[in-house]
Amino acid sequence: MPGVKIQSDSYAIELRDLRKSFRNSSGTQDVLRGVNLEIQRGETMVIIGGSGGGKSVILKHMIGLLHPDAGEVLVEGESVASAGHFDFSTIRRKMGMLFQMGALFDSMSVGENIAFALKEHHPDIPALSVEEKVATLLGMINLNPAFATKMPSELSGGMKKRVSLARTLALDPEIILYDEPTTGLDPITSDVINDLILDTQAKFHVTSVVVTHDMASAYKVADRIAMLYQGHIIFVGTPDQVKATDNPFVQQFIRGERRLNPVHPARI
Amino acid sequence: MARGLSFTSVIEATGEATFRALRLLVHVIVQVLSTIGELCVLTFQIVRLFPTVFTRRGRLLAVRQMMDLGVASLPLIFITALFIGMVATVSAKYQFQSMVPLRYLGTAVTQTVFLELGPVLIALVMSGRIGSSIAAQIGAMKEKEEVDAYWVLGLDPIRYLAVPRVLAGVVMMPTLTMIACFLALFGGWMVAVGTLGVTSFTMVTGMRLFFRSYILWVCVVKSASFGALISVLGFYHGFKSAGGARGVGEATMKSVVSSSVMILMFDFLITFLMLS
Repeated sequence: MPGVKIQSDSYAIELRDLRKSFRNSSGTQDVLRGVNLEIQRGETMVIIGGSGGGKSVILKHMIGLLHPDAGEVLVEGESVASAGHFDFSTIRRKMGMLFQMGALFDSMSVGENIAFALKEHHPDIPALSVEEKVATLLGMINLNPAFATKMPSELSGGMKKRVSLARTLALDPEIILYDEPTTGLDPITSDVINDLILDTQAKFHVTSVVVTHDMASAYKVADRIAMLYQGHIIFVGTPDQVKATDNPFVQQFIRGERRLNPVHPARI
Repeated sequence: MARGLSFTSVIEATGEATFRALRLLVHVIVQVLSTIGELCVLTFQIVRLFPTVFTRRGRLLAVRQMMDLGVASLPLIFITALFIGMVATVSAKYQFQSMVPLRYLGTAVTQTVFLELGPVLIALVMSGRIGSSIAAQIGAMKEKEEVDAYWVLGLDPIRYLAVPRVLAGVVMMPTLTMIACFLALFGGWMVAVGTLGVTSFTMVTGMRLFFRSYILWVCVVKSASFGALISVLGFYHGFKSAGGARGVGEATMKSVVSSSVMILMFDFLITFLMLS
C-alpha cells in the first residue's frame, strides 16, 4: 500500500478486513470488500472517496449503527460487534457523531437538543449547570446564547451542523465521527465548519474521523487521509503525501477527472 | 400453436408456474413470520422499558403524546360518534319492524354501541388518525437520521419514541371510546325522538334496561387493546420504513391496513373470550 502507515500501539479505532453487502432490487451490492484501517488516538483521519462508495457505511460500523458481514471493528481495543448491550452503550458514549444533515430533534429547541442527552445521562445535574454548559457550547460554535430558544426549523444548514456538533460535545466524547460535514454548504460556511473541527481537536484532544469528498476540507483538517475505492482502502497518507502520490486513482479523485480505465485496486 | 401445446411444453410450463407459486408462498410465509417475530421483540422491548414513563422525562413525553394523539382527536370522535349512534338507531328500528316493541330500541342501541360499534368503529377511524400519524412521524425521523441520533447519543429510541406513544394509545383510546359511546347514545336518542316517533322516556328506559357494568369493561378492554395495536403497528412500520418519501408513504399505508385487519381479528378474539 502506498503512503505511510504510522505505527502505534494505541489505536482509537481499528477496522480489520471489514466487509459489508446490501441487498437491493437489482441484487447484492458489495460495498465494503475488506477494509483495513487503523486510526490513532488524537489524530484526525479523513476518509475520501466517491459518492455512494461506502464512506458513511464505514462510519456507521464504527459507531455500531451497522454490523459487519465479516471482519471486525475495534474501538479502544474492544470489539464493537462482540460487546454486550451494556458494554456497547459504554463504548458508544465515548463516541459522538455529526450527521450529514445534522439530525437535530425537530420537536426540541436548540438548547433542548444540546442538553437532552446530558440530562438523560446525568439526571442529577443542576439545571443551572446545564444552562451554563449549553451557553458555553453555543459560544464555542459561534452562536449567540439567544439561539437556545430557536427551533431547528429556524436554522440554516450550516447552523444545524454547528448545533449538532455542540450536542455531540455536550457528552465530552473521546472520538467524534463527522459524516460529510461540509456537504451542501457554501465555501465560507464550509470553512467555518472546518475551523470548528480544528478547534474541537485543539481544545478537547479528541480523535476525529471525517468522511468527505470535499478535498479543500480534507487538506485543511486531516492529519492523515485514507482513500476508499471499490470497497478497499487503497491509500493512506498525510495531505502532502496525497498530493505527491502517483497513485492514478488518488490523483484522478483529487483532480476530479473522469475515470477512463478502471483497474481493480488489487492490481495496484 | 400446435408446437406450443405439446405435452412436454405444457408440463414444463405447469411445473415452472407451480414452482413460482410455491416460491412466492414460501416468501410470503417467511415475511409474515418475520414480521410477527419482530413485532413480538418490539412489544417485549416496550414492556421492558415501560417503567421509564414514571421518570420526569417519561411523564412529559407521555402527556405530550396524550395531548397530540388523544385530545386533538376529540373533534373527529365527536362527529364520528354522533353518526354511529344515529345509524345504529335507524338500523335497529328498521330491523325491529313491528315485531319487537320499541321500548327495546334503546336497549339494542346501547348494547350494540358499547359492545361492538363504539370500540371497533372508533378504533378504525383512529387507526387512520393516530396510526398513520405515528408511522409518518417515525418514518420521517428515521429518514432524517433522528432515530440514529438517539442511538449515537447512547439513548434508546424505543424508550423515548415508542413507549410514550403506546402508553398514550392504551390510555387515550378507552377514554375517547367511552366519550364516543355516550355521544353515540345521545345521537341515537336525538334521531329516535326527533324522527322515529319514539318518546324520550321510552328510549331512555330502553337504554337502562339490561345495562350491566360488564359491557363497559368489554368496551374498555377492546379499546385499550386496539389502542396498543394501533400505536405499536404505527411505530413498527415507521421504524422499518426506508426509501425516502415513498418509504414513509408505504409505512403509513401499511400501518393503517395492518391495524385495521388486526382490530377486526382482535375484536373477534376479545368478544369470544369475554362474551361467549
